[in-house]
Amino acid sequence: MGLRPAVERVAARAPVPVFAVAGAGAQAQVDDLLLQPRLHLVDSPAAANVLLIAGSVPAHLAGELARLHDGVSRPRLSLWWSLGSSVAPPMPPAVEVLDADPSVLVEAVVDTHRRLLFGELTSSPPVLPDEEPAPWRGIGPYGQGGTGMTGGVPYGRPMAEVAPDRDGLRLDQLTVRIGPFFARFPTGLVLEVQLQGDVVQQAHVVVAPEGEAAVEVDVPTTFRDALNTPVPVSVLELERARSHLRSIASALVAHQLPSLARRVLRFASNVHPDQSEDVQRLHRLLRRSQVLGWATKGVGPIPSDQLEGTATGPVARASGVDQDERTTDPAYLGLGFEPIVHDGGDARARMAQRLAEAGQALQLAGRAGDRHHDPEASLESPRGRLAVGDLPAQRLLPLLPAVLEGMEWGDAVSTVVSLDLDTDEVLALRSPDRELPVP
Amino acid sequence: MRAYLDPGAAVVSVAVAMVVGVYVVAVIDGTAGRLAAGAGRSDLGAVLLDPLRTVALLLTQRRRRTERADAPGWALAPGLLGGLAATGLAVVPVGPGTAVADPSTGFVVFATAIAFVMIAVFLHGWSPNSLFPLIGAYRYGAQALSLQIPFLLAMLATALPAESLAVMDIVEAQADLWNVVRQPLGLPLYLMVGVGVSFWGPLNLPDGADLIGGTSAEDAGTDRLAWELARAAMLFSIAAMGAAAFLGGWWGPLLPGPVWMALKTLFLLVVMVSSRHLVARVRIEPFVVACWAVFIPLALVNIFVSGALLL
Amino acid sequence: MAALEPLGAALAVFVFATIALVAIRSASDATAGVGETAPERVPFLGGHEPDVHAWSRFHARYYVMALLFLAFDMEMVFMYPWAVVFVREGGIALAEMGMFITILLVGVLYAWRERALRWA
Repeated sequence: MGLRPAVERVAARAPVPVFAVAGAGAQAQVDDLLLQPRLHLVDSPAAANVLLIAGSVPAHLAGELARLHDGVSRPRLSLWWSLGSSVAPPMPPAVEVLDADPSVLVEAVVDTHRRLLFGELTSSPPVLPDEEPAPWRGIGPYGQGGTGMTGGVPYGRPMAEVAPDRDGLRLDQLTVRIGPFFARFPTGLVLEVQLQGDVVQQAHVVVAPEGEAAVEVDVPTTFRDALNTPVPVSVLELERARSHLRSIASALVAHQLPSLARRVLRFASNVHPDQSEDVQRLHRLLRRSQVLGWATKGVGPIPSDQLEGTATGPVARASGVDQDERTTDPAYLGLGFEPIVHDGGDARARMAQRLAEAGQALQLAGRAGDRHHDPEASLESPRGRLAVGDLPAQRLLPLLPAVLEGMEWGDAVSTVVSLDLDTDEVLALRSPDRELPVP
Repeated sequence: MRAYLDPGAAVVSVAVAMVVGVYVVAVIDGTAGRLAAGAGRSDLGAVLLDPLRTVALLLTQRRRRTERADAPGWALAPGLLGGLAATGLAVVPVGPGTAVADPSTGFVVFATAIAFVMIAVFLHGWSPNSLFPLIGAYRYGAQALSLQIPFLLAMLATALPAESLAVMDIVEAQADLWNVVRQPLGLPLYLMVGVGVSFWGPLNLPDGADLIGGTSAEDAGTDRLAWELARAAMLFSIAAMGAAAFLGGWWGPLLPGPVWMALKTLFLLVVMVSSRHLVARVRIEPFVVACWAVFIPLALVNIFVSGALLL
Repeated sequence: MAALEPLGAALAVFVFATIALVAIRSASDATAGVGETAPERVPFLGGHEPDVHAWSRFHARYYVMALLFLAFDMEMVFMYPWAVVFVREGGIALAEMGMFITILLVGVLYAWRERALRWA
């Protein structure tokens, strides 16, 4: 039949639908894949044919990764982009790409997909065994009837129970674990939410299950290196600008503006000290697109008294807390550094804060000359104060349950995105269930 | 004697128009995306061929089921959306005296088609028995209900000069002056409603990124293909009706009527489709408040001022 | 009966387009959804299994707004014929519909102040 091979040949040249999982040390590279025209990054595995695992995914996510793999549409294949990691994913991938160059990865993905379409590679079979979640043996055709556990659980799952809501109605409340691979959250962040309708009644952060060994943050980045060795201030500030721009790009994707996100990512990969006007232009663009307007105004307000003594970094400064480790850093004396502070504390203020700090970082990088940051001095990472054993994510995650309560789901996602949590830190946090140590 | 085609010719002409319209929507979307991303001169071949390649890709992807889904509903939803889009397109006249179907209440047929879209989207979100599609379905309920009244009021103002609910008469009444000049508030409202009813771009709440694809989160293969085709067809129909009701339809110098209709439809499509790359997604609560508190009064001002001027 | 012919054409278009899209969608029925294991059919929530069915008594928070919509929908029913006879009837038509709309707008104002448009 000549029709099917013709369709396959045309399909092989389409952008490949990829569900990308960013493991430790891979978030920036996975974000940059948005710039590749031959890949189409999708949010749900049903839309994807290729499961791309980048970096190292810890073993305690093996079950969820297996479920994710089985959710990818057939014909499916998984690929591992190792990016220097030697820890293979808990679920063996079909293809491994060792080169860190994104164009090599794109070639591998496109080639693998083509061979999958033409039948040269077989679709990978489901990983989990074929078992119904709870075999039901009720009397009626939908599993109803019967007594005890032998009936009343239609198709393996019970129906939701009622709970009161703020307008007095008693309607169903769904308790769901929104998993480690939710597209807009950092990998590894699990929120257990109780939803009534689409409003979050309660949210808990589940980071690592009890008793499981978690991965240490051994992924080297510029800021983690600065804890041990002297790093030039210009390098630190350029990296800070890059990180802030990447978080803005991620927020743009969450607000359904992937094209503008590509523009910002391209800017982020080519930062240079002379680009402060570009930051101004970006600010105007973001205001016009309403991402710095009605899309984030009043979303996720965190009052400054909730932040005293807990979170630091741009989240705190956007709520009016005037605290920046760089004011006490001798390397920044004489550079004309003044911490930028916004008030409002909502997602809009946080995004404006990061944009303003990115512009400021570019200016500082231009003026820094030959200064080096002393590892003994306190370090301000793009997400807050960073020290050994004191991670910004550890301080930000405990804020979530109080902030998310009573929020509509879209606003809840915008809020989590606006906190700019680092994937490496979230994956590395070890804690008993639902308790996060606050230093 | 109102114009109409016999069923066979009607079906063929609407089918051809829809295929062309859906392709044009995809090309405009790709172009707008590339321009907004600022990639510089890029591949015209990719812009023109990628929609066809994506169709082929979706044909090779296998559909999925979810546990305890509503299979008939899931199958019917994209069909219903596409059928409504086709009906809306059928009542748009192409030239003087030429229309696929021009009932004396053509405007009401179009409004009905727009109203039933809510059922199609809700069915699409309800059927997979999954959380995010369900949230998308219910959100669209609020969005669609809030958009109905501004839509009807904005379009009803175009029926006032025509003294008729037949779309052909509405176009005939614009022989000397287009409705967009007589009723300037009408077209922006109509375009916003068009983007909202087709849940596109800033008003894509049911299939939103915060719901990882929303009502389409469990769709794969031809499910996804049929849904995207139907949605693009809906955009095209709304643009065609907008061209007829607000931009004077086939009236225009030099070129023949149908060519003017095509150009005006293309212009409205560019405005509507490119909004996806320019404006962020709205939040549902302020949007509902804005529809009732701002857009309905604006639409009413539009009707009453233009009505008073007619007398 | 001749007045119904255009509606007949529109109906034919509707039926055919619906059937065509359902056919496109189901075209891969022979190969799709066959041999799917239970884990492949789990709704996606990010990696964890759902505890309960999604079908539930979902709190559609806009139910009060829907009542308001009902009132305006009935108003639209009256506005359709009004638009057709408006020019012929003149200022009386404008005044009468204006009174009707004003009463309904007072209803909208009341609903807004009573926070009916909020996301409950």
